[in-house]
Amino acid sequence: CTFTPAYAPGGPAAALQGAIRVDAPSDKNGFDLVERLEERLGRPQGDRYRLSYTIRTESIGVGVTPENATTRYNLRGTVDWVVKNAAGTPLAEGTAASFTSWSATGSTVAGLAAEEDAAYRLMRILADQIVTRLLATAGSFL
Amino acid sequence: QTVDRATLTANQVSVSGDSLLVAQGDVEVQYRGQRLRAQRITYDRAADRLRFEGPIYLTDDNGNFVRAETADLSADLTEGVMNSARMVLNRQMQIAARQMFRAGGRYTQLTDTVASSCQVCTIDPVPLWEIRARRVVHDQLEQQLYFDRAQLRFAGVPVFYLPRLRMPDPTLDRATGVMMPDIRTTSGLGTGIKLPYFITLGSSRDLTVTPYLSTKNGRTLELRYREAFRTGQIEVTGATSRDDILPGEARGYLHASGDFALPRDFRLTFQAEAVSDPAYLLDYGISDKDRLDSRIEVSRTRRNEYISGRFINFRSIRDIDGVPESNATLPTLIGDFTLHRRFSGGPLGGEAGLMFQTHSHYRTSTLDYDTDVDSDDIADGRDMSRASLRLDWRRNWVTGPGIVVSTMAEVSADLYNIRQDATYGGTHSRLHGATGLELRWPWVGGTADGATHVIEPVMQLVLASRDGSDIPNEDSALVEFDEGNLFALDRFAGSDAHEDGARLNVGLSWTRYAPSGWSLALAGGRVFRREDFGQFSTASGLDGVTSDWLATAQVTVPGGLSLTNRALFDGAFGITKAEFRLDLDREKYALSTSYIWLQADAAENRIADTQELYLNGRYALTDTWTGKLSGRYDFEADRATRAGLGLEFRNECLLVDLSLSRRFTSSTSVKPTTDFGLSVDLLGFGGSAKPGPARKCRG
Amino acid sequence: QQANIAFGGLKQDTSLPVQVEADNLTVEQATGTAVFSGNVRVAQGDLKLAAARVQVEYAADGKAIERLHASGGVTMANATDAAESKEAVYTIGSGNLVMTGDVLLTQGKSAIAGQKLVIDLKAGTGTMQGRVSTTFVPGNK
Repeated sequence: CTFTPAYAPGGPAAALQGAIRVDAPSDKNGFDLVERLEERLGRPQGDRYRLSYTIRTESIGVGVTPENATTRYNLRGTVDWVVKNAAGTPLAEGTAASFTSWSATGSTVAGLAAEEDAAYRLMRILADQIVTRLLATAGSFL
Repeated sequence: QTVDRATLTANQVSVSGDSLLVAQGDVEVQYRGQRLRAQRITYDRAADRLRFEGPIYLTDDNGNFVRAETADLSADLTEGVMNSARMVLNRQMQIAARQMFRAGGRYTQLTDTVASSCQVCTIDPVPLWEIRARRVVHDQLEQQLYFDRAQLRFAGVPVFYLPRLRMPDPTLDRATGVMMPDIRTTSGLGTGIKLPYFITLGSSRDLTVTPYLSTKNGRTLELRYREAFRTGQIEVTGATSRDDILPGEARGYLHASGDFALPRDFRLTFQAEAVSDPAYLLDYGISDKDRLDSRIEVSRTRRNEYISGRFINFRSIRDIDGVPESNATLPTLIGDFTLHRRFSGGPLGGEAGLMFQTHSHYRTSTLDYDTDVDSDDIADGRDMSRASLRLDWRRNWVTGPGIVVSTMAEVSADLYNIRQDATYGGTHSRLHGATGLELRWPWVGGTADGATHVIEPVMQLVLASRDGSDIPNEDSALVEFDEGNLFALDRFAGSDAHEDGARLNVGLSWTRYAPSGWSLALAGGRVFRREDFGQFSTASGLDGVTSDWLATAQVTVPGGLSLTNRALFDGAFGITKAEFRLDLDREKYALSTSYIWLQADAAENRIADTQELYLNGRYALTDTWTGKLSGRYDFEADRATRAGLGLEFRNECLLVDLSLSRRFTSSTSVKPTTDFGLSVDLLGFGGSAKPGPARKCRG
Repeated sequence: QQANIAFGGLKQDTSLPVQVEADNLTVEQATGTAVFSGNVRVAQGDLKLAAARVQVEYAADGKAIERLHASGGVTMANATDAAESKEAVYTIGSGNLVMTGDVLLTQGKSAIAGQKLVIDLKAGTGTMQGRVSTTFVPGNK
């Protein structure tokens, strides 16, 4: 089997930095996803490749106490994404999926901050999954 | 004005007498979207009539279909009589009739009718349910069906008789009228029936009135009002009840929500929740929420800018160790404003961000010291306001051998004003900064079996200042450690606390993409600190000079399976925290299960370990019967908190949903209850629930 | 515009004399047939027939016309109706007019198209065969 550093000269992801423009977000989750994607892929230099995405999240109560208090929540998230070239032909696509959790045992202020931080971390995990997938497939379209 | 011509095609057309035209052999007439096929048609030009013989098939442009033996219609097919006709509406609802009269292109009257949306097979022609009636009038304009002397039969057995009955035809999706009833039995309310009545108020508003009467003299009236505006919509649901659970008390709940588009891409959303007593939502099966959250928010999101201003009001209806949580000592009114702008680093290059945020929360209690009304050690009446400014910057360099070097920095200034708190009252300020150097060296490779692998070692050195201020930590009390913040400069959720000191974050991930599309991802990581400032509790896994090991494993299969497992364990492989989630969603079956194991942690006021398995699945026993199972088992208390069984029958014409569930939890306000629900829905009327597969006719 | 265009307008008195005019005529004594060609006009009372070529077959006595065989695009018209086709055979004795090949019969506002039209001029009836299509205006407007 052959292994090469992705970003080495001539490597599959050599031209990945700054190559992909992520679609503008419409809500906080999208904003955090785009921020992490731009952290990892660099701010887009041009328009040659466009990444569009659909985010779905679902919050599920777990850790129910005998007194019926919900002490923890799982925030489950999926992102269906596709990278297209200027002509609109899809070059790479996939679905990133994961979950984060937060405890609701503290005060309301702590619970609120924990809930929003869980969403923030989930978007960064899903963005990293997309970047890892791009590293694996960048060689085929960059 | 173009003249609407009707076209007639046939194998043979003969012209005889003064005005008769006889067409024979696969005759077809098309006129204004209606298509009629027959064996023989006689067109009497003088009388402008069409007479049809042989099996006749009439289809009109909105999916209705009529089959008849003979027919005598006006030339434009709008009026006349059809004998032994069978009318099929929207390919779902069938009405067989001895005679069918069409009048004025709008009304169709059928006599001696049998109406059903069930598949009728030649060998056993009795449909699962049918409505027999002396007369049915179908009003195509209003899309309504009016039955005279209607009799509902199940499997041929008369069940119900109604002198007059009106029902929407399948193509109609909104009409005023009674909806299908639900039967619900709970230990608290006894056996009762819900009968929703839907009222359309114009094209953009509607009201649903649902009386719910039950044996243990439960009397409830539930209202749901919805209105759509040009720029948004609102929905308000509420109910008032009297029952034996709290005799003599007027109980009820209200839930309102709305979403509006404002000019310049701003968006207004609001949600209000109120309930008369803590147990109401559970007793009436409305929701499991134990903290009501009413909020109003104006926000705007653009590529490089996020703005949000909001007010939130919390009300806890939760019980802790047998005592209702006191709302006086909880922050119940919260006000936040956030402006976050991202921009290029300019001369520095890379990506930078500036965030300005204000937050304040208010407790109704005015005591400036802590009492044991609640289990925290925060002054009962503490109110707090904060203003924060945070600047962050990050830049990537790709070096020769493919190592991505990232430099990053973050500096934040916080100003606090704390009131009604003897120990922390007054204003505090804090400046905190952190810089980081991250090295990522991803390798990509293919193996003989066609799989692609990505191996990525990551190392990050972080230097952070030491926070000398004595600002109490309220919003960062709950800390999580996962791959989302393994490489974060500051792992605290809020702004009241910042992660101090120097540390080395190390991680390695290996992802394998199989050619068939499924993928396996393993990752691990650990934090090594130069010095432990005791900022983290044991249960977070981040305490000590070296943190717990973070290990994650994930399998995703295209087509709806994702299994994610995350664990924190200390050096001696003692588990601090473990969470497992499996979500499988296929057409024939679905399973969603989660397992959590959490160490007790006083800092997060979790007094005991939490260990719980949750399971929710469905399985198609046959293509019409579906079994459902759900359960929640608390290993610490060593018993189930909730269990549920469900059975659903859904074919092309009937939806029956049986559900039995038991909630074992009990508290001062909530008693264990068993809930049995039965709902029957005749499909094929008024665009109701989606019909299932039609049964196959044997033989 | 008559209120109702009677289909029966095809009725025709077939005992009337038949005149035939054309640019030129060739006669074959042996078979007793005459071939008119070049915008041939045939007339019998209200019935008019035009064709590129009409072959006339005479009865045994050599004087009365027994059958007309028109080809090369035929149009037939009488007081109220008109029809066109590739070929037509008119047997005067039986009053039988058979038009074949992309036949189009137009009567007032309605038209009938088919492959073969058999008209019994004595009875005033006509039958169109082959995948026939016709249009009519409901409501008799």
